[in-house]
Amino acid sequence: MERFLQDVKPGEWARVEHIEGGGALRRRMMDMGIVPGVEIEVVRCAPFGGPLQIRLKGYYLAMRRGECAKIIVSVPEQSLLEPSLASR
Amino acid sequence: MKIALMGNPNVGKSTVFNALTGSNQQVGNWAGKTVERKSGVIQRANEQIELIDLPGTYSLTAYSQEEIVTREYILREKPDVVMALVDASNIERNLYLVLQILELAPRVVIGLNMMDLAKSAGIKILSNRLAQVLNVPVVEIVAAKGQGVEEFLSEAIRVGNLKKDPLRDEVPYPEELERRIQAMEHLLADTIWATKYPLRWLAIKRLERDSEIGQTWRSIPQNSKRSKNNDSCCDSGDSIKYVLQDTDTLPGEDLLQAYEVEGWSKDKFEMTVADAKYQYISKILPEFRINEGPIKRTWTDRLDEWILSPIWGYPIMLIILSVVFWFSFVASAPLGGAVSDGMAWAADMIVGLMQKVQIPVAIQSLVRDGIFAGVGAVLAFVPQIAIFFAFFSLMQDSGYLARAAFLGDRFMQLMGLHGKSFFSLVSGFGCNVPGIMATRTLEDPKDRLITMLINPLIPCVPRLGVMSAVVAAFFPGSLGAVIMISLLSLSMILVMFSAILLRRVVKQRERSAFVMELPLYHIPTLRNILLPTWQKTYSFLRRAWTFILVASIVVWVLSSYPQGVPMDETWAGKMGGWLTFIGQPLGFDWRIMVAIVFGFTAKETTLSTLGILYGVAADASQSIAQAMTGAMTPLGAYTFLVVYMLYIPCLASVVTTYKESHSIGWTSFGVVYNLLLSFIVGWLILHVGLFLGIQ
Repeated sequence: MERFLQDVKPGEWARVEHIEGGGALRRRMMDMGIVPGVEIEVVRCAPFGGPLQIRLKGYYLAMRRGECAKIIVSVPEQSLLEPSLASR
Repeated sequence: MKIALMGNPNVGKSTVFNALTGSNQQVGNWAGKTVERKSGVIQRANEQIELIDLPGTYSLTAYSQEEIVTREYILREKPDVVMALVDASNIERNLYLVLQILELAPRVVIGLNMMDLAKSAGIKILSNRLAQVLNVPVVEIVAAKGQGVEEFLSEAIRVGNLKKDPLRDEVPYPEELERRIQAMEHLLADTIWATKYPLRWLAIKRLERDSEIGQTWRSIPQNSKRSKNNDSCCDSGDSIKYVLQDTDTLPGEDLLQAYEVEGWSKDKFEMTVADAKYQYISKILPEFRINEGPIKRTWTDRLDEWILSPIWGYPIMLIILSVVFWFSFVASAPLGGAVSDGMAWAADMIVGLMQKVQIPVAIQSLVRDGIFAGVGAVLAFVPQIAIFFAFFSLMQDSGYLARAAFLGDRFMQLMGLHGKSFFSLVSGFGCNVPGIMATRTLEDPKDRLITMLINPLIPCVPRLGVMSAVVAAFFPGSLGAVIMISLLSLSMILVMFSAILLRRVVKQRERSAFVMELPLYHIPTLRNILLPTWQKTYSFLRRAWTFILVASIVVWVLSSYPQGVPMDETWAGKMGGWLTFIGQPLGFDWRIMVAIVFGFTAKETTLSTLGILYGVAADASQSIAQAMTGAMTPLGAYTFLVVYMLYIPCLASVVTTYKESHSIGWTSFGVVYNLLLSFIVGWLILHVGLFLGIQ
């Protein structure tokens, strides 16, 4: 099921399908390891609609909701995904 | 031999650099860029090594100032060896930069840091396997304990002395991309650019339409005084400056056009190249990384559950900031007092000596009432500033400041600012100069400019010190605390208001991204805390014998001559008289106006200026304020406090704004804006107060 990273619930894993838009923002995301195929866990959201804390490749990243809305992900059946793979 | 130290941010680069160079450091800026440049010369076994600490970056695309500086250095200066520092607990993303370095620099040594953090997260890295896979020497180090740092360096020296560049495998690209890279390589192979850059790298950059590769830069060695200045703190620039000489278009435009038709745009090339690198990393990863058992919850996970919690996050932030402010303002007070007492004692001693050798009374007065009173009043703030910056470094190095930015981003966003602006604003409480310099972490120049322009509205330690002395005199007891809080709230409101206003004034093409790493928590080394604290405190101290010494002497001269006349007949008095037309609407007398004018050089001198003008002993701040109580109503004093808090902090902050923004226009805008804002808000407060019948 495809949706925006912004809509993934805390504690859930998702796989990046593609990133909308281009330019500096997409390049920055690429540098941080957000490329298609990568698995991302949404760890928590800052209160009052603040940024999201996500985990990928074993490290933590903070990103605003607006930016997360540019990332289209597919959310697999949570039980099927081996979390230890994506968490590292 | 020239060795460059590179790596992602937060991998312990400065720890390694500090351990290797110790005090032989030069800190300055890269020419024309506001990115910190650190270098050090060290001697190892008949080999003189110039070690350059390049700014921490995530990649070598020319995107942020740090990346541009790093790439330019590698391309133009061609260091003999690159020491690439890698965080073992986060090796996947770190290797992305390493692969980019390997494309550009033939001689690389990898330092594998934070092995302990990796181990506690249940990850084991086989460093010898990593070395085999990449064909690069790998040294395990624990930078915080200094383990392996020397071996890391000697391995780099060994690689630097090799007769031939080591060969290594290239990142395999998908066939479709590989074909296009080779076609471009073929076009570029016989050009002069191929002699300057590695061919493969050049071809890829051409496909990505990188604008910088066609440029020819000429280096101009600068023989300015600055380059000889070995001051460990305040060397402000590279000794080499580059000038853009020529911009050539590289061949291959037709080919690029053709690729674009086929759907291979600049963006697609970038994406495919990056993707191939990440794929390559995931492919080689299992060869050297072993996951031992299930994922363990690390300390960072446990701490973040509290620190970033929606319920506890803000109270914890409040407590941490309160502790920092309590230590820097309240607990440091006896130290500041001791410094003033010491200065007063020294002044007495020197004046006593002068009396013995019969030095004219005027000079005695200059030393006691001018130099010692002025400089002493400023030195009393040194303990506060040092303690504040020690805490600031601690928050930054431990990883807390990134969390505070995470929590504060929502509010910064409301003001149209970036989460990282939070660093700059908090730092402004210590001193606005480093606060303005802290805007360097912001990637977008417009965000930087706005943060820089509102920073002076944050009252710094010295201003808060002067303010609390005046508050204590006019509003005794618990009322004082209320007044102080009201002033701080006013400054917060005006910071928000100004940010929103400036967002409309400063035109911005695209809103910048907030993509920030939240590093793992770790305990910083003492050296990493004390060194930056010393560097910042020292640059404040330097002002004491430059700006402030001169300002104190000028104030003394203007307020002492012509001799033997009442205060309002002196030059300072006359000057204040001319300025009363500005002060009149605000109810300021000539003394206050003189203090405000002299405050431009450095606001911390205001108390001593007032002391001289009211004719009271300058070292006793309490008595100056008491002398003022006779001359002003509490409402008048409050108006003065508001104006005092808001108008430009000091000459140094203006100079820093200019240096950081490279714009006279915006610097003057900032000064005028601050002045207008302070006087307008002061006028409003006075008149609303009078209307409400408050005295």
